[in-house]
Amino acid sequence: MGQKHGMSLHCAGRRLTVVALLPALLLVLGAMAPLQAQQPPWAQGRPPELATSPLAPHPQPPAPTPAKDLPIDKIKLPPGFKIEVWADMIPNARSMTLGSRGTLFVGSRGAGNVYAVVDRGDRREVKIIASGLQQPNGVAFKDGTLYVAEISRILKYEGIEERLDNPPEPVVVYDLLPKDRPHGWKYLAFGPDGKLYFNIGAPCNICLPPDTHAVIARINPDGSGFEYVARGVRNSVGFDFHPETGELYFTNHGRDWLGDDVPNDTLHHAPRPGFHFGYPYCHQGDVLDPEFGRGRSCTEFAPPLLKLGPHVAPNGMKFYTGRMFPPEYRHRIFIAQRGSWNRTQKIGYRVMQVELKLGEPPRYEVFAEGWLQGEEFWGRPAYVYVMPDGALLVSDDYNGAIYRITYAP
Amino acid sequence: MAGGRDERQPGAGPWYGIKWIVGGLGLLVVGFPLLAGGFGDVEAGRRKAEVCAPCHGADGNSTTPEVPSLAGQPPLYTYYQLLLFQQQQRVSAQMAPVVASLSRQDMQDLAAYYAVQTPAVPPPPRDPAKAEVGRRLVKAHYCDSCHAPGLVGQKHIPRLAGQHYAYLVTQLRAYKTQQRTDLDGTMTIVAQPLSNEEIEALAEYLASLPAGAGLPRPHTAR
Repeated sequence: MGQKHGMSLHCAGRRLTVVALLPALLLVLGAMAPLQAQQPPWAQGRPPELATSPLAPHPQPPAPTPAKDLPIDKIKLPPGFKIEVWADMIPNARSMTLGSRGTLFVGSRGAGNVYAVVDRGDRREVKIIASGLQQPNGVAFKDGTLYVAEISRILKYEGIEERLDNPPEPVVVYDLLPKDRPHGWKYLAFGPDGKLYFNIGAPCNICLPPDTHAVIARINPDGSGFEYVARGVRNSVGFDFHPETGELYFTNHGRDWLGDDVPNDTLHHAPRPGFHFGYPYCHQGDVLDPEFGRGRSCTEFAPPLLKLGPHVAPNGMKFYTGRMFPPEYRHRIFIAQRGSWNRTQKIGYRVMQVELKLGEPPRYEVFAEGWLQGEEFWGRPAYVYVMPDGALLVSDDYNGAIYRITYAP
Repeated sequence: MAGGRDERQPGAGPWYGIKWIVGGLGLLVVGFPLLAGGFGDVEAGRRKAEVCAPCHGADGNSTTPEVPSLAGQPPLYTYYQLLLFQQQQRVSAQMAPVVASLSRQDMQDLAAYYAVQTPAVPPPPRDPAKAEVGRRLVKAHYCDSCHAPGLVGQKHIPRLAGQHYAYLVTQLRAYKTQQRTDLDGTMTIVAQPLSNEEIEALAEYLASLPAGAGLPRPHTAR
């Protein structure tokens, strides 16, 4: 710059031109300013004609709802089933895992906390065992150690159940994960192979992600042996392994801003590593993306096992392995659906069940509903967990509560 | 993007059409009782708001530059801020004693009352050139993606149009320096790169913006 200015000193006429052009130059720079800022992640991929759409993600309340204010009587279940508020005042309660001594560990997103819920028989005591973490959504437990997945790190707390009131400092297991915040929160679970599985979501609504994103990956519990398990998965924040085959099944959130009914969120089956499930080219197994699908075909990709409905937001899923529910429930999949935001008529806000039968299409039915009343919702089922006694726990991050569903004919 | 639309997509058509927009507006109107009617009791809120009137104005239009106007704020915003004050996640020496004894019903009633008050007509910008810089910053940072077209607020996100200049400057600086609680981190990310001059320009523009601009406000459409 300095040199150019010096040159202009040689010729008064040119200097005048530069001075005269300066405001124009500033205007151009000003017009370029929008390039420096970005739309919020949820609005990415929204067509310009929908810029005034009132649809936006539902805010997370800043405080949990006390049990007495939860209209639990509105929940409908199949005959013989009952639901109760099992624990409340757990801000932003998300995924759950059980310690070997019976402590329920609960992750959160925005709250940044990990909780320990101790069953005192007539009541549940809630302790915060970690706070200030980056969206610690994923929790998994093995051999006395609690593993927690933040956005870019996996931590472990050894011997945690003996030290709930004086938790140890976490040990970093793995800290090489991407730091992107959009779809950065993780589900975490041990596979039957003893490895830790987690998702790395697409860092956007719709984009061509780097190879490091839109995947499910696994590592050994000591942090070694990172490998990709599934690709083309926009964001899976719930998965489980079949109780008999040990194969991976996972839920996936479809892209936004393509319409009320397209695409479906999905349930997938990954019998072995190496499959590509379509994102961002193909959605729900049969809809090419308007932008990224050009020149591609959905037959290139592994199709979903089941379409779960558009925008239903399937989060946690678990095979039912308990003995409390009637025998036909054994090995059914329960799926918690947090419910839609990118749809003019709300859908989801319920717990669904899927029955898999060899050689038949999966049967897909409502199990628990009532968190959505008309167009108003009062709760959002986020995760499910099967307790040793066979009861099904359902976390509701919107209210910071955990429900317990039991069966007694 | 629309040009590349795949014709085989079922259901993509109506999305891009007027039907969708009409449906969306209809939903806004139909869905609103959740936020005002069913949310809190306006009349109960009116009585409970008497204690707030000395600072925030009887009709929610504050005359003190440092005190925010609450008239026409989305009820969910007012409710959540009261919760944050009570939980001391948002710190204010003035608000702390006032909210300590409020029940959630009280907060919802207050929020419902303020939501249906009419925002005062703001003064014109004192420095139109500065306001123009602010207008461009609003565009550059996509403020209307969350604060809604016209910056009238929606859901838990506040109306900025017509808010007091001094209050806006204080809050943007508080986000910039991470002194104000930020539920999802969005405001901290937006505010951190802003210079003091840019913050002042934004406030200059927002303070002069008519409160009723943009989409019809849900409660006036009701």
